[in-house]
Amino acid sequence: MSFGRPHLRTSYEQDSAIFPTWWQKGAAAFALLFITLMVLGNGAAAAIPNWLFGATWLAPFTLVIPFAIAALGYNILTGVTGQVSLGHAFFMGVGAYTAVALGGKGDGGAKACIPFHENLGLLESAGECGLGLPIWIWLPMAGVLAALVGILVSPAAVKVRGLYLAIVTVGLTFIGLHIARMLPEYAGDYESGRKWPKLDIRLWKEETPSIDLNEDGKWFGLIHLTEEQKQFFFLFAILLVMMAFAKNLVRTRTGRALQAIRDRDVAAEVMGVPEQHYKRIGFAISSFYAGIGGALWASYQGRVSPIDFSLLLSVEFVAILLIGGAGTIAGTMLGVTFVELLPKVVERLTGWLAGELDSGGVISTIANFLLTSGQQGDFGPVSTSPTAPGWPMSVFLWNPVIYGVLIVVFLIFEPHGLFGIWLKFRNYWKGWPFSY
Amino acid sequence: MVAVAENPSVQSSGTGYRTVASRAQEWAKKAPTQVAMRDKDLGVWNELTWGEVWDTVLDAANGLLALGVEVGDRVSIHSEDRPEWVILDLATVAIRGITVGHYPTNPHAEVEYTLNDCGAKIHMVEDQEQADKVLDLPAAAYPNVQKLIYLEPRGIRRDPDERLMDWQDFLVLGREYSAANPGAVQARMAAAQADDVMTFVYTSGTTGPPKGAMLNNGNADFAIEIIGGTPERTRGRKLPSPKDSVLTFLPLCHVAERIFSTWHMVGFGVVLNFAEGIDTLNANLREIQPTLFFAVPRVWEKLHAVTMIKGNDASPLKKVLFRPLMKLAMWIGGQRAANGGNWPIGARIAYFFGYFLMYRSLRERLGLRRCRWAGTGAAPIAPEILQFFLGIGINVYELYGMTENAAVATLNMAGRNKLGSVGEAYPSIKDSVRIDEKTGEIQTKHPGVFAGYWGKPDKTAETFTEDGWLMTGDVAEWVDGTHIKIVDRIKHIIITAGGKNISPSEIENVLKTSPFINEAMVIGDRRKYLTALIAIELETVGNWATKENISYTTYRDLTEKPEVIAMVEAEVERANEKFSRVEGIKKFRMIPKELDHEDGELTATQKLKRSAVEDAFRDLVEDMY
Repeated sequence: MSFGRPHLRTSYEQDSAIFPTWWQKGAAAFALLFITLMVLGNGAAAAIPNWLFGATWLAPFTLVIPFAIAALGYNILTGVTGQVSLGHAFFMGVGAYTAVALGGKGDGGAKACIPFHENLGLLESAGECGLGLPIWIWLPMAGVLAALVGILVSPAAVKVRGLYLAIVTVGLTFIGLHIARMLPEYAGDYESGRKWPKLDIRLWKEETPSIDLNEDGKWFGLIHLTEEQKQFFFLFAILLVMMAFAKNLVRTRTGRALQAIRDRDVAAEVMGVPEQHYKRIGFAISSFYAGIGGALWASYQGRVSPIDFSLLLSVEFVAILLIGGAGTIAGTMLGVTFVELLPKVVERLTGWLAGELDSGGVISTIANFLLTSGQQGDFGPVSTSPTAPGWPMSVFLWNPVIYGVLIVVFLIFEPHGLFGIWLKFRNYWKGWPFSY
Repeated sequence: MVAVAENPSVQSSGTGYRTVASRAQEWAKKAPTQVAMRDKDLGVWNELTWGEVWDTVLDAANGLLALGVEVGDRVSIHSEDRPEWVILDLATVAIRGITVGHYPTNPHAEVEYTLNDCGAKIHMVEDQEQADKVLDLPAAAYPNVQKLIYLEPRGIRRDPDERLMDWQDFLVLGREYSAANPGAVQARMAAAQADDVMTFVYTSGTTGPPKGAMLNNGNADFAIEIIGGTPERTRGRKLPSPKDSVLTFLPLCHVAERIFSTWHMVGFGVVLNFAEGIDTLNANLREIQPTLFFAVPRVWEKLHAVTMIKGNDASPLKKVLFRPLMKLAMWIGGQRAANGGNWPIGARIAYFFGYFLMYRSLRERLGLRRCRWAGTGAAPIAPEILQFFLGIGINVYELYGMTENAAVATLNMAGRNKLGSVGEAYPSIKDSVRIDEKTGEIQTKHPGVFAGYWGKPDKTAETFTEDGWLMTGDVAEWVDGTHIKIVDRIKHIIITAGGKNISPSEIENVLKTSPFINEAMVIGDRRKYLTALIAIELETVGNWATKENISYTTYRDLTEKPEVIAMVEAEVERANEKFSRVEGIKKFRMIPKELDHEDGELTATQKLKRSAVEDAFRDLVEDMY
């Protein structure tokens, strides 16, 4: 009955539907189908230029998914509840190290595992510890433990707001780094890290996994998939579940309470929203996401070191939120794409340009203009050497600079981020042929 | 009681005459889960099915029986449009009572007059505001009112008046009565007659006090079959059906809204959607996107004005497209008007592009995207307005009728639409309309003609010719021998000092096509030349003034600004170009206040009470001569 009447609401369920119109339902289904076909068709090779990603084009996309999950959590805390936190990296770390403690195996190599409590005061010569449990234990536990730690620190965090909360949570990251340094048998070497349990699904500790994600092969005897494709689908499925949960959260009583606190904490309390209680819930849920994201990231990478969970990672999430658009799932996803995926593209692009330096022609001229190869220091602002100090800077050094500039630009000109730009664009056409 | 009359559409059977109530019962039996009404509450359109509606009607009917309503007793309703209005209306007809509606805007004095004139036993009020119009006077002022049923309990003084009763309590009373006397309502329904009066519709009373026109079951049945059952009125010749939606927003006590809402609903299963109020009309239209839409000219003018203002206020790119496309719409409309509403090939092609660029979204914004039939009536409308709506693809038809003939007189039909005319006689009753050769008055004779004015046999007699034709009081002329064009009310025709007959409403309508002019009254009877009193539209003129950097405080202040007067003068000059010199407006004055029903300057249907306005602003008028 509602066909052709997009504004007719005959129930509140309709009013809060995720995809209120058939158009949106169709678009979502199409996007899912498109992604699936792209991955299955091995990138529809023509669509993703070979020079950009090469044969392993799927890897950067897969790598971004754990960040997307963690960013969803950060959005719940900062975008939905309005609590600016700089401790997200810490909670990702909690998740990652929970995963390794539960799912990792003793190295089996040079040194045996000496558990923490037997090693008090030695602080040396410990091997790598882990219980070797399957993923269906370590992945949820990574989230749960991170959430518990979130609740544990919340008494300090929920009583402060704004800048003070940011300072408190900055403290967390440093505490985290310190603990990691104290527990090398779990965290591995401070610089080089340790190995993580692989992404595969086992019932218990048996040798061959029930579903193997690390080797090419047939899935369920139906489709032949490569390792990358398997891992992508696995992580993507988790992402979809987490997205659905995050989207549903804001439509519930809890979600509305969180948003009320964001919009004005005093007003929320006057309306009967117990502020501290809900801030704690926000913290817990956000940490849960961070934990899951951290565990998946470390596990997919295979090797992560404590230093990766530093303040810089937390700032990346701030960038994701501000550039993408705080408070919305779509904005978060846009931010992740922009902040996490784009640098990887740029990195590859730089590498490709460096290869074209001497080839002559237009591309070579552009490359010459942008790049500096070796030490001789010509004009280009980007150095091809990854460890170049000072000017010209390497791609890796350029990234944080660009984030910083973008955060400033977005805060001043478009506080609602990329998603805000999209909203403006959409409203322009929605209002057609009027402006209001 | 007279036996079932010689009515062509009589369906007499053992179960009594087919009233609007028994039609509703048929729908409830046939399609109990089908949606019958939607009513917006707290942002959500709650749906009521036929089963639910009929159950409530039965409860209400039993409640009326419990309160001792006899055959022919009056039940009056004073409320905005809402489901309970229709439900109590149907319940009253079911037990052979008579429904009387009051305009929600009626002030105290008018309520006192009409309520006592009809002598209703039961009076239903919407809320405290309407209840107070009765309660503020001592009980002796309303000798007949026994029960005052209220819908919104907020603010109602419960204790002091034992006449008060809550709607819910009333329904409970009905259920108790029905348990004790099963089948009582059915027995009344089975005894229904064609000449049972089913409603009084009070005429708007531009002259003298309102008169209660009595319509009986036969009239209603005739109106449903003729107006609803004329497939020629829509393109594609489709009768109304449960797939159609209407937005109910004009007062239900007016015969037009009763026909296009209640009677279309019981006759054809059309879904009623109750607008929250006249102020939310635009928003509600957008939500409902009705397929059948009847509105008075004022609403069409407003929709047109809103389009123009918003379009010219839009961002640059939109404006660049808006202006030529509006011109194109007028061209398309002109082409269609010249072809009876059909699409010449050129207009079709132009529309194709306009549709994708703008008309589709414009219609969506107006809420008329799915509209397959739109009507205008109850007052004259400027053809330019209709031309515009035809141009953006809305099939709008002017029709004509009045309370006294159950609104059955003439209409424009699809493919034979003539702008400026009110159409032709209904095809199934071609000989029901004539124009008196001597006076030029339009007269009708058919089974829809009313039973008379309540308690005023002398007035009733005055409205009929000796051979039994109803005199409408409107002067009309033939267009091309088939269509009829209304000139004016007989009473309004101006004869100037020079002896020329002039129809003021023709001039007034042209003036009112300006978005800045809300109301105009042309004066000149037995005078040397024509003058006009003009009331500006606060919203548009205010908007204009703000843009021109003219600061103003009140409505009156705005009317006195020299820039505003100059602007209105230009509008008047523009209108004058369309008429001969004698018909031109020589002078005009601005009415310094917004005309209002409460102050007696407008009727409840927003029609000008000419004598009242002339009296109130006599000094302005004299100043011009």
